[in-house]
Amino acid sequence: MATEHGSSSRAAQSVGGIRATEIMAAAGARELHDGEVVVVGLGLPWVACALARRTHAPSLTSIMEIGVINGNPVDTPVGLADSRIFHQSTCWSSFLDTLGMNLHRGLVDVGFLGALEVDRYGNINTTLLKGEEGQVTYVNGSAGGNDVASLARRVMIIMRHQKRKLPRVLAHLTSPGFVDGRDRAETGLRGDGPHRIITDMAILGFDPDTHLAKLLSAHPGVSVESIIENTGFPLLLPDQVATTPLPDEEQLRILRREIDPGGAYLNERFA
Amino acid sequence: MADKVRTAAQVVGSIPDGSHIALGGFAIARNVNTVVHELIRQRKKDLTLSQCVMGMDTDLLVGAGLVSRLIVGGGSLDRFGLVNCVNRARESGGVIAIDATSLSISFAYLAGALGISFIPIKSMIGSEILARLEAGEAAERFQRMDCPFTGEPYLLLRAIQPDVALVHVQRADREGNCQIDGPRWENEEQAKAAHRVVVIAEELVATDVIRQRPERTIIPGHRVEAVIHQPFGAHPTAVYGCYDYDAAHLTEYVRHTKRSGGIEEYLERYILNSSDYDDYLHKSGGLKHLDTLKARPGLGY
Repeated sequence: MATEHGSSSRAAQSVGGIRATEIMAAAGARELHDGEVVVVGLGLPWVACALARRTHAPSLTSIMEIGVINGNPVDTPVGLADSRIFHQSTCWSSFLDTLGMNLHRGLVDVGFLGALEVDRYGNINTTLLKGEEGQVTYVNGSAGGNDVASLARRVMIIMRHQKRKLPRVLAHLTSPGFVDGRDRAETGLRGDGPHRIITDMAILGFDPDTHLAKLLSAHPGVSVESIIENTGFPLLLPDQVATTPLPDEEQLRILRREIDPGGAYLNERFA
Repeated sequence: MADKVRTAAQVVGSIPDGSHIALGGFAIARNVNTVVHELIRQRKKDLTLSQCVMGMDTDLLVGAGLVSRLIVGGGSLDRFGLVNCVNRARESGGVIAIDATSLSISFAYLAGALGISFIPIKSMIGSEILARLEAGEAAERFQRMDCPFTGEPYLLLRAIQPDVALVHVQRADREGNCQIDGPRWENEEQAKAAHRVVVIAEELVATDVIRQRPERTIIPGHRVEAVIHQPFGAHPTAVYGCYDYDAAHLTEYVRHTKRSGGIEEYLERYILNSSDYDDYLHKSGGLKHLDTLKARPGLGY
């Protein structure tokens, strides 16, 4: 959530002046290939998408569920319904077009989402949280999140790395990943399911056989032990943990000067 | 030519308690606040609301205690905060929420608009959303079926045909031909699915103006029952090309809704003590303040 402020100090918050959010945005951008079609939500997914479009993937098509294709904002938007997002779009349409005739039609390569909680099968909760005594607090719900997770070819998640946000059991399964570990087709779902979880500490992927979350790389300065400690579910570990590459000078310039000069997303511990 | 221009008070007077109303807002954009305020002033009861992404319009109606049921995909006030009144009502059991997704609600409206009784969809399968829907209040609206041609599994959704759809648009003529600039989320399907359509227009224009850009006419006049002309009628939410959201007012609203009892103060101050929407706009800073929100040319906000 945009309004959350954690107190964690263990994430790669500043490596040589580079913020964790910038590492996350660059990591997200790297996963997007030129020519692909992406359905993207606001926040760091949107920042990553904008970065990819301005660097290696100029022919990326970015779709926002409200009915905006390839918006080209000159001011930083506060939300999906902000007119700033609509600026200089190549198409204005509707849910029926974006989530229907693109996503449901099977044309969307990547769904790029945020999350309140994610479990080890990449299932996402954006609906509610449960307190220690079981009391329920509602948040945003699905909107298009479930549709995207159900229907995109691959799904990427950007979120803050915290034990309670990566729990053994979700408070609510809003948007399906591998559900209980079965193949997607067995569950009646399209696409290859969750592909990456990009956090402020690490990048996680999924084991092709068990569909369990697996550590792929740790951000510079973040230890594997602290990642394990801050993950609520058991995390598969590779023989050798790679180090997440830092954004280069050009990426940093675009992020800081062009995409989010006010730091609306990049200044947060996590967006 | 039929002149369909009415006041919000006239329109709301014709909406019975217990109606199902589709709302045209999306988070902090084009909320149908002009009619929402009047529904609250006329103390309507037992409403069902449907919408893909709830915003301030739904939050106000739930906060004022007018709503029994919600059929929604999700909701927020973007970075200003959550739909706190809705969330509090869910938590206390004050409202029955039928929680679906943006696409499934759009599909159900589309089926309603096409006059077919159901529509197949591929999302929601495998999620707790569907498990809850199938076990909940509206279980009869969901069925599963394999495609008779290919054998693929589908979820079937019952069509939605709301009693009334309310949509806020940039411009309309007196016959109800109305044009939307910018994205239109589920507005076309929800309006065309509804039995009655009421539009709130920022600008009331001559039909000749509509004829200059007929491709932007999203809801043609013959589908529209009434046109309410209300400049700044979606305030404090944004109308693309007309004005930006009012950040200060939205912040004040969320400050009220965050604590229990706060919404009552907001309703009292801005809605119940206002004679109409113009009076509310006056209380919200008046012309000079509204002028600062006006869209800059070339930007639309």
